[in-house]
Amino acid sequence: MTTQEVRLCGLLLQEHFGNVVEKVGTHLIRSGVLTLRALAHETKLPLDLVKKSLCVLVQHGMCTFGAGRRGPAGPVEYRINCEHVFHMLRYPRYIYTAKSLYGDTGELIVEEILQRGHMTMSSTVKTVADRLTHNMPEGQSMDYSEVVSVFSQLVETHFLQRCPPLASAGSSSSGAVDTPLPVATQPTEPESHPDCYKLPYINLTGQLLQSKHSSHTKKLFSGQPLCGDDDGIYWQVNFQRFHLHFRDQAIISAVSCKLDQSSSEIVRTMLRMSEVTTPAHAAFTQALSANEIFRALLSSYNIARPILDQYLSLLVDDPMEFVGKTGDSGGGMYVVNLHRALANLARATLESVVQERFGSRSARIFRLLLRKRHLEQKQVEDFAMIPAKEAKDMLYKLLSENLVQLQEIPKTPDYAPSRTFYLYTVNQLPTARLLLQHCYKTVGNLIERRLYETKENKRLLEKSQRIEAILASLQATGAEAAQLTEVEEMITVPERQQLESLRHHINKLDSSENQVDETIFLLKSYINSTQASR
Amino acid sequence: MTEVKVKKESTDPVDIENRIKELCLQFPHGITDQVIQNDMPHVEVQQRAMAINRLLSVGQLDLLKNSNGLLYRLKDAQSASKVKGSDNQEKLVYQIIEDAGNKGIWTRDIRYKSNLPLTEINKILKNLESKKLIKAVKSVAASKKKVYMLYNLQPDRSVTGGAWYSDQDFESEFVEVLNQQCFKFLQSKAEAARDSKQSPMVQRNSSFATSHEVWKYICELGISKVDLSMEDIETILNTLIFDGKVEMTIIAAKEGTVGSVDGQMKLYRGVNPIIQPTGLVKIPCGLCPVFDDCHEGGEISPSNCVYMAEWLDF
Repeated sequence: MTTQEVRLCGLLLQEHFGNVVEKVGTHLIRSGVLTLRALAHETKLPLDLVKKSLCVLVQHGMCTFGAGRRGPAGPVEYRINCEHVFHMLRYPRYIYTAKSLYGDTGELIVEEILQRGHMTMSSTVKTVADRLTHNMPEGQSMDYSEVVSVFSQLVETHFLQRCPPLASAGSSSSGAVDTPLPVATQPTEPESHPDCYKLPYINLTGQLLQSKHSSHTKKLFSGQPLCGDDDGIYWQVNFQRFHLHFRDQAIISAVSCKLDQSSSEIVRTMLRMSEVTTPAHAAFTQALSANEIFRALLSSYNIARPILDQYLSLLVDDPMEFVGKTGDSGGGMYVVNLHRALANLARATLESVVQERFGSRSARIFRLLLRKRHLEQKQVEDFAMIPAKEAKDMLYKLLSENLVQLQEIPKTPDYAPSRTFYLYTVNQLPTARLLLQHCYKTVGNLIERRLYETKENKRLLEKSQRIEAILASLQATGAEAAQLTEVEEMITVPERQQLESLRHHINKLDSSENQVDETIFLLKSYINSTQASR
Repeated sequence: MTEVKVKKESTDPVDIENRIKELCLQFPHGITDQVIQNDMPHVEVQQRAMAINRLLSVGQLDLLKNSNGLLYRLKDAQSASKVKGSDNQEKLVYQIIEDAGNKGIWTRDIRYKSNLPLTEINKILKNLESKKLIKAVKSVAASKKKVYMLYNLQPDRSVTGGAWYSDQDFESEFVEVLNQQCFKFLQSKAEAARDSKQSPMVQRNSSFATSHEVWKYICELGISKVDLSMEDIETILNTLIFDGKVEMTIIAAKEGTVGSVDGQMKLYRGVNPIIQPTGLVKIPCGLCPVFDDCHEGGEISPSNCVYMAEWLDF
């Protein structure tokens, strides 16, 4: 865990769960694995507070526990999964994706489950339906069955999954065969459970009714109340599936930028067909024949069969190698090269950072070194057609920022400078890791700036909240217009402007966190894909 | 008893010299001592050596050394007359410079080859320059270095830098202009292909341009005072590839087709970048020059960052 990652985790935990959980969490990240007693002792917090914070973290899947180093007989040890904490940055993106795929219902389902960590199906459905009904105009209400159908769709496409069951702690009185506790270092994969995506049968009919007359909504039930058929079956968001979806989206948009719209539709069809059949870390999708692709293409795209063949061969010939041909049966077997596409996207990210930061000539030198691997200084000047002095300056600047490395090749064993070749080179993987750390630090900076802005204007924010509360209560009791305006005028115009600009700042900082998160996602997927293939 | 008189070949030194000269003409690459000996076996070593020395001193014979031994070569009359009147050292220096040919030679290298002291060399060089036999050319690689070559030779590309250098200065504006022109040409070709709405294969093929076509276009544009060859245009197109704006493929072409080199042709095509500028660079932190010094509680921190304050008010 690097410093920046620990700092970012601390900020995220504090923002979402409060100071106590932050303290416990940060300490646990720094120490690795700890028992409950050790944790309580080192953080100097009372034991029950530590217990509660750990419960919160376990509920959200960020903390895992298991038999410790002393074996099953010893105390249980806890460890935090940092990756899971970083997923909190991406919650808005998950919710937005669910909304675009499954509408408002899907959005609310995912939001509820993200907020609670684990939920049973029945409670999710009930909460979501109630929320939807609340926002609907009078008289209409949301049927539970609709929500259930959206929920089952989410499960079918693997966006939601069952939480893996935890083996119960061995109790000598039960006499049943005890399944050993999973060792703390190996969390059980949710997908190893065979019923991972099986929906439980729950009897949920009916809907929440809103009464028409009176401004207080009276909650009436019609139909059967909920049965607790699915107690103990908890559902969680399948982050990996969402990540695969984001990765597919990135590949499709890259293809549409590089080639054209129709090619990107073809690639989208291919990726959609291999969504649930391709394992998560595969380098290629399943091989698809051209016949299958043609049948699966939506008719709205209106692509004829020979045109499809042409597009496929163009995709295969493209130097970016998004699509590859693996055979000739069935009209040609095609795969999407996932790892290579990720490497290309990561490379484009690196190049764009260098370009924005140092200028387009430095970007030229950077790309030149990426392609040609090792070059001497004279060769760099010649290939890039930049005057010698400027090229030297730019190379040294990139070298000082560690984006470019120097490789020495001695002619003589004594490494004399006049008799050594000095070659410049760029390694994509370490540079990607470096940029990833920069991104983590940047997001930390953004969060801190947001907290600072809020703190600076705390007095003003409190005042405006009080005014709003007064206004709301006055309106509820039916006051006259004059009283309302009098209360509103308690906020002066410059204060109103300040509030407005503050709101604008906070929104900007929030949206920029999401933007940096996109870069983090690309770089992290690339780094994971290269490590998986090792 | 009749005496068989063996006709004695006259060992006249002039005859020996002439014979040697004839042998040199026979073998223009040079003859070794062994060859002379084979031809005139009756000539003694001393006489042979005297003849050779005489020829050398007059300047009609060139002495060369190769891996096997010494070679004698006939010097052509023209160059023989040129160095008349200069002493041996000058002749030696002149020979060294002549051997360097197109690329010229540096004073230190002359010193190594001739083993003469520096002051002598400088004097000789000044002498030769005033006689207009050699000239000094500034090298583009190191601006202080001067290389000497024969007066009437054109300096080689590696010394002057070729088409991109004029008077030892790299012409960056010229390169930039060419860069943009080539890119515009390729981009307009790609757009025309895209708008033609034909089948995708035809579209892609028509968006390609061979290096020969680009070369012709640039020549016709007439923006260059210097004649540019196809290799020059290819170096410009390579810089466009490194800018990420153009991609290249190589196809096999028939030998006779225009623009093909060794049975291949290079095709270039304008392309779009595959992603938009990434999220990190939309934040001041991504471009901040003091990024590494920034931490909470320090002089530079997110809370009092000037760049962020300006950016937020945007």
